[in-house]
Amino acid sequence: MDVALDDLILTAHAEDDRAALVTLYSRAADLAEDVDTECFFLTYAHIFALELNHPSQANLRARLVAYGRE
Amino acid sequence: MAKDYIQTDITSVQQPVEQANGLANAHYIDPATFAEESEAVLKSTWAGLAVGADVPNLGDAKPIQFLGMPLLLIRDKDGELRVFENICRHRGMQLLREAKTIEGAIRCPYHSWCYSTKGRLVSTPHVGGAGHNTHPSIVKDDLGLNEVRSYIWRDVVFINISGDAPEFTEVHADLIARWSEFDSPLYHGGADSRFELELAANYKLAVENYCESYHLPWVHPGLNSYSRLEDHYNIVEYGKFSGQGTRVYRQFKAEDGSAAFPDFPDLSEKWDEGAEYITVYPNVLLGVQRDHAFTIVLEPKAHNKTVEHIHLYYASDDTLAKNRAVNTRQWKEVFEEDIFVVEGMQSGRHAPTFDGGRFSPVMDEPTHCYHDWVAGRIAQHRG
Repeated sequence: MDVALDDLILTAHAEDDRAALVTLYSRAADLAEDVDTECFFLTYAHIFALELNHPSQANLRARLVAYGRE
Repeated sequence: MAKDYIQTDITSVQQPVEQANGLANAHYIDPATFAEESEAVLKSTWAGLAVGADVPNLGDAKPIQFLGMPLLLIRDKDGELRVFENICRHRGMQLLREAKTIEGAIRCPYHSWCYSTKGRLVSTPHVGGAGHNTHPSIVKDDLGLNEVRSYIWRDVVFINISGDAPEFTEVHADLIARWSEFDSPLYHGGADSRFELELAANYKLAVENYCESYHLPWVHPGLNSYSRLEDHYNIVEYGKFSGQGTRVYRQFKAEDGSAAFPDFPDLSEKWDEGAEYITVYPNVLLGVQRDHAFTIVLEPKAHNKTVEHIHLYYASDDTLAKNRAVNTRQWKEVFEEDIFVVEGMQSGRHAPTFDGGRFSPVMDEPTHCYHDWVAGRIAQHRG
């Protein structure tokens, strides 16, 4: 993963900023170079989106479902 | 299997009030007896857990320990109240440690399994390996939160832990009918209309004291000027409920002498100066009056420790905070006057020759009614 993005994710975890985690894990998924890595990050984004009732949850879920992962 | 305690004799309790003794000391001071009794009295009946006002908004969730059990009271996204075990179906992890509003899903803090506010398991991240969030052996429809049977009456959340009690409306049909005139919307007064009192006493002693008016002139002398002992009457329905009523209730007045709070709608003349105070067995104390009502949920923390959760309700959501505050303060003073009594009786239960005491056939029948009901539950439990 991009080092800067990794730092941002760690900071968001440290600050328990779950909305940021949705965004950052989504970005990590978008940047992934293979399906497994993409789904790994999508999973985090989806879970935090579910918890927050975040508007992106349906889209995130749909991406996981499309890969047979949800 | 051998028991690690001696079963109490309850036959002397189930006698006519003229001859009966109260429950034996062990029901108040012995943890093993209390545990047996709790199975019979608190878990197999409809016990009070909380009030709906504890979770007023959609998604509000409150973890509650009840007899050591981790429970979760939640108001789902459609406004319905439910009680669940506060644990994840995965590894039994406690889901919520403190009250919060669930915005979307309940996420287990351990492996992030997620549940809807209706208890449905909605996601199991990485359960089939990294980034694989399903597995054939983990069927979500089979792994929702374990729900505890519950029923809401007068905003009180009653639970039946054993799951096999008759319906609440069947068990309490007579009481529901008795107070049918008060079957109108209740508005909790909010933060200024709730308080807690801690008692170093068994919860049953709070019930026993609440049921009877005998103590009023001695413990609450402030009532003597307008609410004399002879103005009260016993409410006794063996096997069902008990309490007391008064014929001289006075409306709560504002500073200018006018009625501070609106009446509950469509009450008959009986309630102009009438009020009743009844225990919903085993642990909920209710009071109804023309202009406000109150609820006390007794939380049995241990055999010798109880928390009273006290809530005041009105007929309207448009009442003045200053009037509510005065009303709350006055009730708090009354209920605080009872503390030394229940704690004194708790201390008294360590006297080895105390035999459960005797009852005034005239004045104590509501209390005997409660003892008789408890003894009956225990007898049924023992088979």
